[in-house]
Amino acid sequence: MTELTRRDFLKLARDGFLWLSAALSLGGLLRFLDYDPNPASRTEFDLGPVENYPPGSRTLLPEPPAVLVHTESGFSALSLICTHLGCTVEQNMDGFACPCHGSHFDVNGNVTHGPAMKPLTSLRIEIIEDNRLILHTD
Amino acid sequence: MKKTLALASGLLLLTLALTWWLDLHQPEPIELIPTLTGEPEYCLTCHADLPEISASHPVETFGCVSCHGGERLSLDEDLAHGTMRGSANPSDLSVAESSCGGSNCHSGSEAEGRNHIQRVMTSVQSTYAGAIASIRYTFGAQADLSAYLGINAVADDQTQTGITLLSTFDPASESNPSIQKFGENCLTCHLHTGPREGEVYARQTGCAACHSTGEHSFTTAIPYTQCNACHNRGNYDLRTMSFVERTDQPTKRIDDYYQPIAQFTLCEYTLDCVDCHTRSEVMGDGDIHANQKGIQYIQCKTCHGTLTELPLTKTLTDPTDIAFTLAFLNPVMDLQLGDTIIITEKSEPLWNTRVLLDGTYEMIGKATKQYFTFNPVMGSGCTQTGDDQSSAYCHECHAVER
Repeated sequence: MTELTRRDFLKLARDGFLWLSAALSLGGLLRFLDYDPNPASRTEFDLGPVENYPPGSRTLLPEPPAVLVHTESGFSALSLICTHLGCTVEQNMDGFACPCHGSHFDVNGNVTHGPAMKPLTSLRIEIIEDNRLILHTD
Repeated sequence: MKKTLALASGLLLLTLALTWWLDLHQPEPIELIPTLTGEPEYCLTCHADLPEISASHPVETFGCVSCHGGERLSLDEDLAHGTMRGSANPSDLSVAESSCGGSNCHSGSEAEGRNHIQRVMTSVQSTYAGAIASIRYTFGAQADLSAYLGINAVADDQTQTGITLLSTFDPASESNPSIQKFGENCLTCHLHTGPREGEVYARQTGCAACHSTGEHSFTTAIPYTQCNACHNRGNYDLRTMSFVERTDQPTKRIDDYYQPIAQFTLCEYTLDCVDCHTRSEVMGDGDIHANQKGIQYIQCKTCHGTLTELPLTKTLTDPTDIAFTLAFLNPVMDLQLGDTIIITEKSEPLWNTRVLLDGTYEMIGKATKQYFTFNPVMGSGCTQTGDDQSSAYCHECHAVER
């Protein structure tokens, strides 16, 4: 077995330190590049199999806040984001009410009481190949 | 040489490892994407423990940056806070338009009742026009009590009061020493300035001066104690032109509410100021007024009527009536279509009142939720002259013994 000289030890230590430093730096760089502080909001939501929503059902979705309606004419969805300032409206006997500023909407999303001026937004529903529902918010 | 290189590379590694370790021990960023803006912000990383400011301003909807400003993506304290509006108080009147304004919020149209900021800016609480005019008149700097100056210059082309403009009051440009001292010592009770030192004066500036009653809170249920931060805290001494603080230690509400020599009826010291005084009296009506008397108009007869007239009332038939909006913001009363409430001579709703079937009235305290009933003067044994509504006149019979 060859004896490690002082010179070899210093070289080995130097190289080891430098390689480890390079690895740490690279890791830090990758971590930095991987972090997106300003991610785009999701616009597609997989709601699962169509069978989960039988005809005649009216399902409140938590994420994104919406109501999914299945009628004879098919699926439709209304966003539950108030068109005044963006609070999440709550369902009541007459339709929906905004807990923040008191806007009211009927079951179809039309404004019955301000301050909101616009009806609740209709969202697009898509049925993809494996019979799953996709909700689009864009 | 090799030794030095090995040492240097070791130090480099140590520095990088330390940096990595420190980074790993930073708090995990908490992302919030408010529905109003759709833009991520990281303020909750440090401020997640703050209470919700009000039911009308949920953080999931508004986030923090909409009102406070600041750098939404920064996790560095100085950088994140560097561009905040009004420091910790975005409702300071110097920045309120940016923080609280906007046509959907608090600087919208008068017709929709959203001109809050414009109303406050021209209100006597903001201009302090009456006090300034009174002092300048007293010390000969102006010939009458008309309002010419305010804390800040304001203009209103469509004013109903005839006052279209107030210029800025600058105590340093006054020649009378008493007016100069007034400027130095007596301008601590308008909305642009912070309070005097002391717990009893504690309040913020701008909208928060009245509406913020605790840490990170905003409410329309304003207790009289909030009003007392400015009102009833002492007197101006015109000889020394200084503010003389109260030194008494009230133990009863009646003593806490007003100056010791004054008289009061039961409702004057039992209710909170906001139970009777309306939005336009307190926040202004959009016009520039010369003084407090120009805007304050609620009288005893507003609720009690006179011997010949019942108080003005209105049956609520329109779901968009402002009464419902006000009741929604402070739901102490379940106001319903068909309810009859008292209104003022300017048709402002006293939405926390209701006419009962037996012809009497009920009121629920906006801040205390206390339930009160009261009677009209008409049909009572009162011998008043209806057109005299001065407090001293009503106090002759109805003052409470202290």
